[in-house]
Amino acid sequence: MKLQHYIGGLEGLEPSSFEKRVFVQPWEQRIFGIHVAMMALSNHLEAVKNVPTTFKSFWTWGHLRTGAEGLNPFDYFKYRYYEKWLGGISGFFIDSGYVSKEELDAKTTEYLENLEAPLPDGGEPAIDEQVIEYLRVGDSPKCEVEVQPKFKVGDVVTVKNPPPVAHCKLPGYLRTKQGVVDEVYDGAYNYYFPTGDGVGEPMPIYNVKFNSHEIWDNLTEPNTEIYVQIFEAYLEDPA
Amino acid sequence: MSENVDRETYSAARVRALESLLIEKGIITGETVDKVIEFFEKDMGPFNGAKIVAKAWVDPEYKQRLLEDTPAAIAELNFPRGMAGAEGENMKAVANTPEVHNLIVCTMCSCYPWPVLGLPPYWFKDPTFRARAIREPRKVLKEFGLDVPESVEVRVWDTSAQIRWFVVPERPEGTEGWTEEQLANIITPESMQGAAKVVVPA
Repeated sequence: MKLQHYIGGLEGLEPSSFEKRVFVQPWEQRIFGIHVAMMALSNHLEAVKNVPTTFKSFWTWGHLRTGAEGLNPFDYFKYRYYEKWLGGISGFFIDSGYVSKEELDAKTTEYLENLEAPLPDGGEPAIDEQVIEYLRVGDSPKCEVEVQPKFKVGDVVTVKNPPPVAHCKLPGYLRTKQGVVDEVYDGAYNYYFPTGDGVGEPMPIYNVKFNSHEIWDNLTEPNTEIYVQIFEAYLEDPA
Repeated sequence: MSENVDRETYSAARVRALESLLIEKGIITGETVDKVIEFFEKDMGPFNGAKIVAKAWVDPEYKQRLLEDTPAAIAELNFPRGMAGAEGENMKAVANTPEVHNLIVCTMCSCYPWPVLGLPPYWFKDPTFRARAIREPRKVLKEFGLDVPESVEVRVWDTSAQIRWFVVPERPEGTEGWTEEQLANIITPESMQGAAKVVVPA
């Protein structure tokens, strides 16, 4: 198991913090903006073909998550949310040859001496137009293909227990559990790339209902139901 | 400087170095990041969700349509273009009632309906919340200041595939006759994820 997939249900934790801010440090906004720009300029988007950016890579949530899920789990919990983004995204730009570690380190040292030193300006306005257009249009996983859902509302289903892959869309606590199909979402949904455990090609998504006690036995609370949206590839008929 | 300040200063310099190099190399422009931030301050944020919920409170037929076909109901209202954009391509609303309290969580990460709620707050991204909300939601909600009695069913929604959920909270007493604008002003992002109720300010 990878601990990152099994966060749901961990015991022995402190009370939850009700921190309502989105960013707790100003720098966090910058890495968020960079990630959004990368998704908006990803080479799998048709709209990007004529945008004058030098970014030529495939970059999605799936890529960011693959990095976070690939961390040593004991490291995963050492870093705050956007610290993981900063590490993963900087690493991607270095590994892909866009920047060298030496120049990033040197530039970091410059800014450490003066954090207020200005950023370069200029650039092609068409880049920013595409970034905002991406935010308005999105990158819908819903596909215009005919699929026949294997399950219908009311069916009892068992969650499969596939071998772990680099990026997984199945919460760990659900593996081998039984639930009831509550809704069959309209249409078929792909994922950015094949994850290696069945997700990727267009397929139905179900909302599956689990009784909390079925999952956690007596380590939960009364009168509680858990609803999870699950790709068809992760479900099978009960044995 | 404390160790904490060092850590934050380093990250601030590191991200500024990265942004600077990406601009120099023509990947993004000198304005890209500012424009993204501005988009979430002005166009897409919890103020949109508050308008949708306020409309649902004053118009029961609209509420019905919102629960049955969320994107179509949102498209009826006068929002900036982009309500079905990034992280809002497939949204679904669920309603709280006197018998049912809904809480949204993303145990694997931080899936969140951007056009309606903006960006996820820290409590939602916190691994401690993600770990506990799916197993002991009442206890977590109590720590957040919300007591859900055992007679009320709690539904926890773990958003891990491609659908982005949000909650239509209950309309508080004492708001009879309020305009949609007045109502929208008291609807918080937390209430639209089921982590709080909407209350009338004293």
